[in-house]
Amino acid sequence: MTFTGAIGRACLFPLRGIIRLCVVLGIHPNVLTLVGVLINAAAGVALAGGWFLLAGWIMLLANIFDFIDGKVADELGLSSKFGGFWDSVMDRFSDLFILTGLIYLYATLDRPDYVLIAALTLTFSVMTSYTRARAESIIPLCKVGFMERPERIVLFMIGAFTNRMAAVLWVILVLSILTVLDRIYFTWRELRTNPPGASA
Amino acid sequence: MNFLTLPFRMIWHALFWTFERATWQYDLMVIAILAFVWLTPPEWLGDPMASGPGLIGILARLVGLR
Repeated sequence: MTFTGAIGRACLFPLRGIIRLCVVLGIHPNVLTLVGVLINAAAGVALAGGWFLLAGWIMLLANIFDFIDGKVADELGLSSKFGGFWDSVMDRFSDLFILTGLIYLYATLDRPDYVLIAALTLTFSVMTSYTRARAESIIPLCKVGFMERPERIVLFMIGAFTNRMAAVLWVILVLSILTVLDRIYFTWRELRTNPPGASA
Repeated sequence: MNFLTLPFRMIWHALFWTFERATWQYDLMVIAILAFVWLTPPEWLGDPMASGPGLIGILARLVGLR
């Protein structure tokens, strides 16, 4: 077993109880998704104020909602195409709230270099999901590149809890750029080797 | 890809990432990222918020490099 797999399993254990509770209470998964985004907006405000530890705890809470919504949908038999769309759109808002908070923070600290880094991180975080969404409208699957949303979330929490947000921003920026390039290259290669309509 | 030697293959696979989560390759990448985040002295990155020199900074001071 890998150590990241073991951490994943260990984290899933307490979440099972929360999922069970939401199922018993019959909370609609789309409501959970919305609550998660609103809490992430609060995390953005905490980051903007420079309260990293508080922001870390808020992000942890928000991402519990973000994680369990899909599982609750499955258990309640409420999985739907709209649910997937809603979840994806709300995830983008969460990313934007967090990074806008950081841009505001660095602007108030008069650090244009980190305003630029946070703005570029925001751009490439959004482009990471956009390239996959557009690619999967023309090819079956485009799941390449390391820096997806779960990785971003965990890194933001590590940055907030250990006060190493600048290093985290650099990591997310560089790996997001690589992920976007990966997805463009992968889509180009797929379309070249399997042009649409070739198998029909 | 056979014409590439092992180091080049490693770099290629790290850049053109196709591995799933919870694989040993993923673990390696996570370790590398955490090492960068936690060991790099914040002043090297000009971190406006971080405090403390970080592990590499402490070691550098101990051996008298700075």
